[in-house]
Amino acid sequence: MLIKEILGKFILIPALLLILSGCWDQQEVEELTFVIAIGIDKVEDNENSVRITYLISNPEAGSSAQSGGSQEPPREIISFVADDFISSRNMANTVIAKQITYDLLRMIIISEDFARDENFIRWIYDATKSMEIKRDIKLLVTKEETATFFQNNKPLLETRPHEYFEKILATGNEMGNIPESQLYQFFRITEADADLFLGIYGTTIKDENSQSGENPQQITAGEFDFQGESNVTEFLGSAVFKEAKMIDTLTIEETRIAILLNPSLKPGYFIGTIPDPFDEKYRIAFRMDNASPLEFNMKLTSGTPTIDVTVPLLLEVLSNHSMTDYHKDKEKRNKLKESIEDNLNNKFNDFVKKTQEEYKSEPFGWSLLARKKFSTISDWEDFDWMKTYPDMKINVTAQVKLGKFGRQSDLPRIEEIRD
Amino acid sequence: MEQSKQLIGIKEYIAIVLLMVGTKVTDNTPSILFEYIKNAGWMAPIINGLITIIPIYLLIKVFTNYKGKSLVEVSDHLFGKFFSFIILLTILLVAFVAVIVDTAIYTDIIGTMYFTKTPTIIIYGILMLVCAYGATRGFEQIGSVAWTVFPYLQVSLFLALILTIGQGNAAFLFPILGDGAWDVVKESSLRLSIYADFLYLFLFYPYIKSVKVFKKGTWLALMFIIINISITMVCYIFLFDYKTIMQLNYPYHEVIRTISLGFIINMEAFFLPFWLIASFVRFSIYLYINAILLGHLFKIKHFEYLIPSLATLVVFIGMIPENPTFIIFDIKEKLLLIATPLFFLLPFLMWLIAKLKGEFKHANKRDIR
Repeated sequence: MLIKEILGKFILIPALLLILSGCWDQQEVEELTFVIAIGIDKVEDNENSVRITYLISNPEAGSSAQSGGSQEPPREIISFVADDFISSRNMANTVIAKQITYDLLRMIIISEDFARDENFIRWIYDATKSMEIKRDIKLLVTKEETATFFQNNKPLLETRPHEYFEKILATGNEMGNIPESQLYQFFRITEADADLFLGIYGTTIKDENSQSGENPQQITAGEFDFQGESNVTEFLGSAVFKEAKMIDTLTIEETRIAILLNPSLKPGYFIGTIPDPFDEKYRIAFRMDNASPLEFNMKLTSGTPTIDVTVPLLLEVLSNHSMTDYHKDKEKRNKLKESIEDNLNNKFNDFVKKTQEEYKSEPFGWSLLARKKFSTISDWEDFDWMKTYPDMKINVTAQVKLGKFGRQSDLPRIEEIRD
Repeated sequence: MEQSKQLIGIKEYIAIVLLMVGTKVTDNTPSILFEYIKNAGWMAPIINGLITIIPIYLLIKVFTNYKGKSLVEVSDHLFGKFFSFIILLTILLVAFVAVIVDTAIYTDIIGTMYFTKTPTIIIYGILMLVCAYGATRGFEQIGSVAWTVFPYLQVSLFLALILTIGQGNAAFLFPILGDGAWDVVKESSLRLSIYADFLYLFLFYPYIKSVKVFKKGTWLALMFIIINISITMVCYIFLFDYKTIMQLNYPYHEVIRTISLGFIINMEAFFLPFWLIASFVRFSIYLYINAILLGHLFKIKHFEYLIPSLATLVVFIGMIPENPTFIIFDIKEKLLLIATPLFFLLPFLMWLIAKLKGEFKHANKRDIR
């Protein structure tokens, strides 16, 4: 009896192990090619096809597991015309030896040209059909063709592409240069049909006419003018999507405002500059941070809908080129505070006006708050946020609290030194 | 395999009920609710739970009269041989269709979300093989397995929910009433049968240690289930918003693919095994229920021997629809609607007849047959 039991177990356990491996779906990591990013472009004279570009990462490159002296490049790029990015997998395997998988896909990149196309929505929804594509991947828009973008993008230090993209997008989001831009947010906003979606905007082609030195806050991708020896890729600003179609781009400053005014996003530490109220020649650098949650006062149901937003901000002054004596003088601090508030209020309200007049909808996610004012879906749909938004009376007020004045709060008086 | 007379306690009982009913939140039941009740779908489990109190209360009232008798025996006693046969046959048919539909859906989940290349018959076959094995082990064994795995399943669900809440947005719950209060109540109560499993629990009445355990266990389980299902559904809305969730086939599986824990981005590999174990236990119980009913109806004493053949039958019938995502979904929706009056009216009828027959007046210790 005992022997029978033991024997039974010995037969049963290996039998169970066989089932565990998944049989038909068994995949060896060694035999897979991992696509990190898919690029999708329009094909000029054919509306039913798209140009697919794969960025394939070499998992061995640059890792400590690299077998002795292997000189394999960290990435591989392949670009071809296909019907969609699902069937394109098989076609790519005519060139690429290992089986292609989207298991580690982190980005879908679209050229601006395609993003502005009416039919873009038809292709992007393929991502919900494939079982390997996750919903939290990023959606990027590039100024040029994505194939060019991938080929121009040659990071000098973080050569492994998955590492490079993960790092640069995370840092950019933290600094407020680019929005978060996750695919499921794109689907959600498109389906809710009330707000605008902000996608990450990037390019590898420098705009020759741009002089970013003049106003460093008012630039988008390609306009940041830098010299030296580095990668040419810039991720800067955002691509505005309305009803799953790209309509415009936002500058770095507008992107930050969009993040700051969005109650469901947590802004990182944004650094900006404003003209110094004591000497217009100079600009004061400051770092801002949401001091407490945004306050909203919405009156939507009776008369003209109005929205009052209060933005509590904690500011740290980081530079003081006019060498003003804030340390001793409360008056001067108040003046600084007022001028910062004025400046921010103007920027906030200008941008809100722009969204009302140009985009006819908002990227701040305010419709979610407005939904609380309605008890049923039909009421809410009758209200039609996208139609009502352009005519709303909106007032945004910044409420600034001055924090630290840098590590050393006082500076010598310039008059005393130059006397 | 003769039934051992070891009776099961309250822990095992609650675990069984939770795995039977609570697991529904991970298949397409929430999608059906969301489709009709939109973003107020999470209220349906609560509303239905409150309504369910009535039939359960009536059933318990009837059953406490008959010590150690299960649903089949009480039904024979109350309705007489002929009508009881018809009623039990209906219950059996509903149960059997439910097993086929649900196993087909679970097979579809595994096939579309995880093992895309494996032939359906293999997935279905292995699923039913494991469940049939579990069912033949008997009710006590299922109970102890259910209790052993239950804490892990609950913890894994909670981990998923915590991560979901962290990445979700509470504003998606609004407008809070969905299509309006009346619509929510109406559409939910039409799908009352999401709790129809409670009716089948009365088949296990003789296996439970005592009347007190049964009563307390049933009420506690109902409470846990309401909380579990509605919180989970709230979390689905937090992550996806109602427009998206109405289009998802299997929200739980989309959730575990979307959430990430720090640098660990492929979380579904962690949650899948727990979910699979829960499904195995669930279908083992379902098969067992079918076997009990079949055994009673056709006077088969050793009904455990029916289970393997039942399981085989399920696989072959479940394989027939060529497009499970559409056809099976449709059947499931209809089944929910059809089973609702059965689940609601049968307890009423039993109670009424018992009352008319004057059963309640007699002493509790009466023996039927």
